[in-house]
Order: sequence, then structure tokens, then C-alpha cells
Amino acid sequence: MLIPHPLLGPRDAQEFTYLGDARLLERPDPAAENAEARFCDYVYLRDNPAGVHRELWFHEHGDRSWLVVTRDTVTHEILGAELAADVKGAGA
Amino acid sequence: MAEPDHRDRGCPVGRDEERWGWPDMRFSGFRLVAEALRGHSGWKPLWRDPAPQPAYDVVIVGGGHGMATAYYLAKTFGQARIAVLDKGWVGGGNIGRNTTIIRSNYLLPGNEPFYELSMTLWEGLEQELNFNAMVSQRGVLNLCHTDGQRDSFRRRGNAMRLAGADAKLLEADEVRAMAPFLNFDNARFPIKGGLLQGRGGTARHDAVAWGYARGADVAGVDIIQNCEVTGFDIDNGRVTGVQTTRGPIRANTVGVAVAGNSGRVMGLAGMRLPIESHVLQAFVTEGLKPAIPGVITYGAGHFYISQSDKGGLVFGGDIDGYNSYAQRGNLPTVEDVVEGGMALMPMIGRARLLRSWGGVMDMSMDGSPIIDATPVEGLYLNAGWCYGGFKATPASGYCFAHLLATGRPHEVAAAYRLDRFARGHVIDERGAGAQPNLH
Amino acid sequence: MTDLTPITALGTAEAPSVAFGPLTVAEDARLGLASLALRRGADVPEPMGLKLPGPGDCVAGAGVGAFWTGPGQWMLEAPGRAEEDFAAEVARNAPGCSVTEQTDGWAAFDIVSDAGAAPVDALLERLVNLPPASLLPGKATRTVLEHLGVFVIRRAGDRLTVLGMRSAAGSLWHALTVAAKRREDAG
Repeated sequence: MLIPHPLLGPRDAQEFTYLGDARLLERPDPAAENAEARFCDYVYLRDNPAGVHRELWFHEHGDRSWLVVTRDTVTHEILGAELAADVKGAGA
Repeated sequence: MAEPDHRDRGCPVGRDEERWGWPDMRFSGFRLVAEALRGHSGWKPLWRDPAPQPAYDVVIVGGGHGMATAYYLAKTFGQARIAVLDKGWVGGGNIGRNTTIIRSNYLLPGNEPFYELSMTLWEGLEQELNFNAMVSQRGVLNLCHTDGQRDSFRRRGNAMRLAGADAKLLEADEVRAMAPFLNFDNARFPIKGGLLQGRGGTARHDAVAWGYARGADVAGVDIIQNCEVTGFDIDNGRVTGVQTTRGPIRANTVGVAVAGNSGRVMGLAGMRLPIESHVLQAFVTEGLKPAIPGVITYGAGHFYISQSDKGGLVFGGDIDGYNSYAQRGNLPTVEDVVEGGMALMPMIGRARLLRSWGGVMDMSMDGSPIIDATPVEGLYLNAGWCYGGFKATPASGYCFAHLLATGRPHEVAAAYRLDRFARGHVIDERGAGAQPNLH
Repeated sequence: MTDLTPITALGTAEAPSVAFGPLTVAEDARLGLASLALRRGADVPEPMGLKLPGPGDCVAGAGVGAFWTGPGQWMLEAPGRAEEDFAAEVARNAPGCSVTEQTDGWAAFDIVSDAGAAPVDALLERLVNLPPASLLPGKATRTVLEHLGVFVIRRAGDRLTVLGMRSAAGSLWHALTVAAKRREDAG
């Protein structure tokens, strides 16, 4: 699989390590009333879709950026990649 | 140590054919000769291919562990009106896409008694089913390469023996006597010894599927193939049936055992699971003369190998490491696996690969499975087998049947609860945390 | 005080240099290195008059060079100054930035061609799995080479530097020289 790095162009997925669902960027508020239940869901539960999946990849053998890669889990087709810092910044 | 008596655990040691008389003994030497003389025209299908009835007491989704479940449910727990739904054909799912290894060499108390029950069921399986599953207890040898690893193997071996399993710690010269072809003096990862489970080995995966299917069919279970579940009927928090590609089927109890696709199927019931689906590749070489005595696993890389009765070297390694439902992997993992093989046994470089394949795994958040009720009344889940589901087939079926029939978990599967993550009672053999691709 | 004898990353007294046809592979034991990272929201400095390059690029200035290592991060190079406190000089010239001494973390290998760019391109095809566009002259990037994380710096068509972790210098030297030898044998 080739991941289209937003800064460096196409890179072999072998240069990356995989974390999982990009919803891991949405860390619950530890001060919220139901924080314990929300953290349990956050840490352990996954949508695990068969199809389009937004997921976190770390460019370990590269520029050490976290990317949000959009990929089809049925075909392995990679549909896009963004810097996680941009995604997080936009959501904050 | 005294031999453990598995009857105490409420488990059948299946040799009592007077209790279970087969209605017709379809296989015998005489029959084989007779059929050979008439062009094998007299063999009948091993199981019926019925259309689904409108309603059953129990519907089991998935024809792998699910088939074993249906078999024990009908035979041991005396339930009637059972259907097994498979989206494809019997033996076409993960039960036909694995490396056929059977073993019970786990460390943790939540796991080891369960896998040891599975091992005892393997040992009686062919008698139980009157079907040749080619169960071959040729031994499973885990190699260690450091002193620390030997210490951890000693601990695991002791845990195995405490649970009634067999385990033997081998010195390097004992390993050398068993497998002289290994790379003992590798500069980085010399072989220091190993942990041997002599009762471990392999079983023919297809025959396991077929044996359970025939046994379930004879016991009255309807095996409904090419029948994919497309939805659950849930009324006031209680399951009342399933929607399928072959029409709606009503049921009082529904058991889901679709490892690989658990997330997708349980999503139809509105549930999110502590599971990611990942792809694991496996490989077979051309047939060779007998070279590898049992199952051997490399302790410094992720690589395991055995030799099939047909002669092919069957091996595998790590999962690819990213979510996948593709049933095929990518080349970097192929390279990684064969590099592990070359480091462990350089002679493998002379063998030619015949084929490779990928299976989709339920990778759970702690690396251990789930056999439990769900928040939906009457809906039960058997999932999260990671890449260790094949060896668990008999005990998984037995314990899931126990749960479906009695509403209570079987003693050895009591730790496999769905809510263990929220309660902090994870069963994490690897100690990798909630990171499925590291288990 | 003990009389210590300096050795190169490969453990020799003198840095080795071996020719494989038109390519010469040599250790550079005298390259001073320091990393520079911006604090959040800070402006990009111009240390020692150097205009720091964008993603995937390298530049050379007067006695000092730099290549991009990540967003807001660069490695600065000082040829021939491994025995000086180069990081302190960078820190003085980049106030408010995070500067870390890197010289002793890395082993540097120069590959020079006396037959233009073609032998270097051919060698890179054997070494790294990257598109040619990311290996043109003036490009620098981190990638994998025989399971080792490395920086590949294409200083010019006929000139390449590979930086790898110093503790794996022998493995990297082996990888580079074997590939250069095979390229030579393949003609």
C-alpha cells in the first residue's frame, strides 16, 4: 500500500506504524460527569467498519508525522491522507 | 500429579457409543472396498441441505465454531430445533483458512483451563464424531533465545501443568536432537532451549468442519448454507429472530459465532465491540519429504511452522497490522515472515512457495476471546478469537452450547465476559494493552 | 587522565573508503550534527545565515548545511567539525528554538560517483523503496534501508550521504557496500 503523504508524496506503508481508528483523536473530557464510561468506550470499543475507515498512521521511518489516512478495509484502496495535526486543529 | 478428570468439569469424554449410537455407520474398510468396485457411486452427502424453516428454538450464526456449538447443543445438552446459518458453505470460512495447529500452552488462569479442555476434546474428537479429523499430537515446540525468555517459559510451563496440561522445558541439546536443522548458533538469536507441549500438534481443519457438520446433521440440526444474516429482529430489548438472505427466521435464542466479521454482524444489532478485524496471512510450500517433526515456533521473531501430512511446509507469522476484511494481505508481511523463517531454519530457503492466503481475524482488545450474553436478551456472542480460534473450536463450541442451553457460562469460560474491559478484568497474555494489532 | 584514542563509528582509527567501479563509499567521521526544532507558533530562524529548507529538501551554506526532518524540525550539518560543540553554536544563532547535539548519535557515509548521476540512481534503486522524485539532487528524506531507519541526502547528482544510527554503523556499511558491489558486478 502507498500512502500519499501530504508533505512528502507517496510513501510505502512499510514506513508507517498503525494505531487504529482516527476517533482516538477525540479523547473524552476527563472532568465530565460520565468520564469513566466514556473513557471505557474510547479505549476499548471500535466501529470496525467493512469499508471506508479513517485511521491513524505514524510515519515512524519518515518525518514522524501522525496522519489520518482514509482507506477501504475491504479493498485496501487508500482514498486520502491528511496531517493529524491539521485534522485535530480543525476539530478543536 | 494426578491426571485431571475432565468429567468433573461437566465435559463429555466421548467414547461411549452406547449412549450415542450412530444411525448408520457410513465408513468402514468393507464399505470402501465395495464402493471401489462400483466406481464410488454409492456415497451419499454427509449432511442434508435443508431450506430454512420459519422458526427455530436456537439459531446459530456461523458454521465454524457455530457448527461445533450446534453439535454439542443437540447432542450433549439435548436441545432440539436448532439451525446453523452460514453465509457461505461449510468449511469455507476461517475454519478452512488457518494453520491447523492445536495446543493448550497459555499462561493466564482465565485462558489455560479453557484451552486444556479443548485439548482433551481434541483427543477424543475422532471417537466422538466417528470421523477422521487427522488429529496428530506431534508436539508444539516454542523456542527460547535468551535467559529471560527461558524464565518466562518455565513460568508458563508450570502454569500449564497446574491446569492439567503437559509441558516440558528443553535444553538446547534436547532441541538439537529433535530438530537438528535449526539455526542454533545464530549470532543474535541463538537457540537456548524450548518449551514443548507433546500433546499439541495439528488437526485437519476441513475434516473438523465436516465431522462436526455430519454430527450436527445426524443430531437433527438444520445446516443452512449460503444464508447471510442481514439483520436482527429485536423487540423490547429481546431478540425474536434474524433477517437473512434466505428470508426471516424466528428464534428464541440467537448465538453469533462469526469471528472475523463479529464487528460487522453485531453492528446489525446496534452493538460496538472491543474488536478490530485484521488480516493474517499463511503459506504452504510444495510437498517435501518429512523434515519437520512437529510444530516449531520462533521466539525471536513471529514465525511458526509445521509440515502437513501431504508434505507441504505450513507456516505463518504476524498479522499485517491494519484493519482489514480483505482476506488477502500485502507483500511486506510476506517478506517479514520468510525472513523470520530464514533466520530460524536456513534450509527453508530451498523450498518453493506453493500458495498463500489471508484470513480475517477478530483481534480483541486484550488478545482473548468473548463467550457471553449481550445486553440484548436472548442474543449471545462468541467472538474475539484473534489468530488462535482453530485450536479452540471444540471447547468454544462446548462452552458456547453450555451458555446457550443453561444461560450460565461454563466454568472454564467464565472469564470470557464481554464486560471484562469495563470492569478491568482483561486477560492480556501479551501484556500489550488495548492495541489489537500488537496481540 | 587516560589517553583515549578516538575511533570512527566503524571502530577503526581512520575512516574507511572503498571504491566499487565509479562509486566510492566512505565513512565521514568528521560531520558535526545538531537538530533544531521550533517551539509552538515560533517563527523560522535563519541560523548562520542559512535559509532552512522546506519538506523533503536540503540546502548547503557557507561551511554549514541543513535538511528538513519533519514539520518545524531540521538537522543542521557542519562538515569537518565533529569534535567541536556545534550544537552550542546553533543554539546561539537560533534563540528560542530547541537545539540538540546529534553528532554522536549518527554514522555518516558518503557515496560519490565519478561517472555522473546514473550510478547513484542505480544504487538508490537497490537501497530504498522511494519514488525517484524524492531522491533528486537537493532532496533529503528519512526512510528504511535494510530494516534500518536512515536519512538519505542527495547533495548533488553524483553525491549522496546516508546517515544511520551509530550503533548499527556496521550493518549499514555492510548494506551499502554489498549493494555497491552488486551494482558494479551487474555493470
